[in-house]
Amino acid sequence: MSDKITSARAKFLLVIVVAMAIIFVVRLFYLQIIQYGYYKDLADQTQIKQRVIPAQRGLIYAMDGDNPVVLVSNQTVYTVFADPPMVTNKAKVIKTIQAAAGDQARDDLAGLLDKTDTRYQILATKVSRTAAEQIKKADLAGIGFQANSQRVYPEGALAGQILGFVDFNGDGQYGVEGGLNSELSGSDGLLKSVTDVNDVPLTLGNQNIDKPAVDGKNIVLSVDRNIQAEAQQALAEELDKYHLTDGSVIVMNPQNGQIMAMANLPTYDPSQYNLVTDPALFNNDVISDPYEPGSVIKTLTMATALDTGKVEPNDTYNNTDYITVDDATIQNFTKGHTGNITIQEAMNYSLNTGFVTVAERLGNGKTVDQQARNTMYDYFYNHFGFGKLTGIELAGESAGFINKPNSTAGGPVTYATMAFGQAMDATMLQVATAFSAGINGGRYYKPTVVAGTMDDNNNYTPSKAAKPEAQVISQGASDVLRQMVITVRQANGGKGIDIPGYTVGGKTGTAQVPDPSGGYYGDRTIGSYIGFGGGDTPRYVIMVRAAAPTDVGISAGTSAASHVFTDISNWLLNYLKIAPKN
Amino acid sequence: MTVYTPYYSSRRSINQSRSWSRNQNVTRFQSNIKLGPVAHIVLVALMVVVLGLIYLTQATKTTSYDYQADNIDSQIASLSDQKSDLEVENARLQSLQNVKNSDVAKSMTTPVDTNYISE
Repeated sequence: MSDKITSARAKFLLVIVVAMAIIFVVRLFYLQIIQYGYYKDLADQTQIKQRVIPAQRGLIYAMDGDNPVVLVSNQTVYTVFADPPMVTNKAKVIKTIQAAAGDQARDDLAGLLDKTDTRYQILATKVSRTAAEQIKKADLAGIGFQANSQRVYPEGALAGQILGFVDFNGDGQYGVEGGLNSELSGSDGLLKSVTDVNDVPLTLGNQNIDKPAVDGKNIVLSVDRNIQAEAQQALAEELDKYHLTDGSVIVMNPQNGQIMAMANLPTYDPSQYNLVTDPALFNNDVISDPYEPGSVIKTLTMATALDTGKVEPNDTYNNTDYITVDDATIQNFTKGHTGNITIQEAMNYSLNTGFVTVAERLGNGKTVDQQARNTMYDYFYNHFGFGKLTGIELAGESAGFINKPNSTAGGPVTYATMAFGQAMDATMLQVATAFSAGINGGRYYKPTVVAGTMDDNNNYTPSKAAKPEAQVISQGASDVLRQMVITVRQANGGKGIDIPGYTVGGKTGTAQVPDPSGGYYGDRTIGSYIGFGGGDTPRYVIMVRAAAPTDVGISAGTSAASHVFTDISNWLLNYLKIAPKN
Repeated sequence: MTVYTPYYSSRRSINQSRSWSRNQNVTRFQSNIKLGPVAHIVLVALMVVVLGLIYLTQATKTTSYDYQADNIDSQIASLSDQKSDLEVENARLQSLQNVKNSDVAKSMTTPVDTNYISE
């Protein structure tokens, strides 16, 4: 009897055990086989952490003579934040952060710490590393730090509109930062691994990824900081002298197309771009604001005529101060030099009639006919690059505009006025680049602001020597044009203002300002000056623009531009160590 | 203490099973202790435990290296930040504005006359 009971109990127990074992096996099968993916993902989410390794943005250098110097660098700054419910000693937190962070601390720290229903309150931004370490040493409960990289500008606002800025999202905007954003950005790395409770990456598991960041390229600009500073200073001083506020200047090397300086007024400080209220200040007018350049274009009309062999400097025409093209009468700005005069004299006095005559002689000599217009368009568009982007490495370049000779707007009157720089839109960069080709032997170089790169060990690698994109006029035509431009400057007082022993060439331009309602304003002008220095092998080309509003006189812009040119030119002759003749 | 009992086999029987060389000792010893199934399980379990411990030791050691590597990474980042700060400070000290305002620059005078020599 007893054995039977024991046997029954044993069987019962066996059934229970087996049943439970089956339940366990089924449950484990469900969890580990059927639900494998779900639980694996869940585990990975808590155990595997993914961290982006930010790439260091490339630095930007300028030249200082022959040596690169830092113009834009990176600095790690910290955002100090609080988790209000976790803060135990508010008074100590406030005292420590105010002492260390100073002006970077928020005003109402006590109020922010009182917001205990929130878990994140920013107490200070852009805190330096040393200040952040000072706060860390105080070992404050509930206080955290977030590192950010920001651009710093050791030279202050120098070349601000060339540089551009990096916005809140880390993207370059305007200038070099915008134009070369992909080269400067580099590519972020990725660290994916199993971590412990302290977020320390562990070399466990087989899903670890360690892809290092590729830092951005360090770019060395062709801009020379000394020339840039001089250009900015000369522009500011002369504009101030003539009570003007709006002007630009570009200095370039005509032998390779490298930009040595580019400045505009008004300007802005890229380290405080967020304080700028007028977004137009971000534009670099030298490349992005096309305008009717006026008489500086006469040099290029002359280059066209010389290269085609249609006109020589000593050819003459009868100047009556007026000339009629179709139904329009074009007159000279400077009157009185009437009679039979040479084209050189017409250039010296900047006579519009002389250059309408030159345009006519590109065709049948009687009017600006189709052949004359086709020739002018070919040279202006195809040879000198007006109406096309130059391809400079700066964001926001504008192509300008010229009318096609077979279009309705491209008639004889338009092309007659184009001969002295009206009825066309061009940027200063386009004009300076074309002028450089005109006086350097006829070689057109693509303008550039990049001189080379710098590696992490501060080894400078210059770019390959620039090759001309095209021979746009002959060497002979260029030699004649260069001498004509020197003669123009000498005839207009250059001998008295240039350093003795140097040959400097230059040409003024005074353009009327188009009225949006039609025609031109009678009392507003934009004065320009373009010229070169350095003798038979010009070392620099300078172009200046100064806008004259209504109340300063219509010649104020031209006078200011001319003086800015002289100031910079005389300074450059010394700075570039150019020896005088004889 | 383990006790071994010597016993002998005939040369023929030995030669039948294996070939021995001359003068080789043909005596063999056999333990009297027999291991039962439980002892086997315990031994296997012990071996598993020992191997497990070895694995854990190695894994812990690797993790400690991970901590060291993480510390070194932090130090590198910190030193890199310091280097950047110093470079920025260096650039600021050499900036045009600082150079212009330096005592050396202020004490400079404009040359009265300039002569050029040919190279």
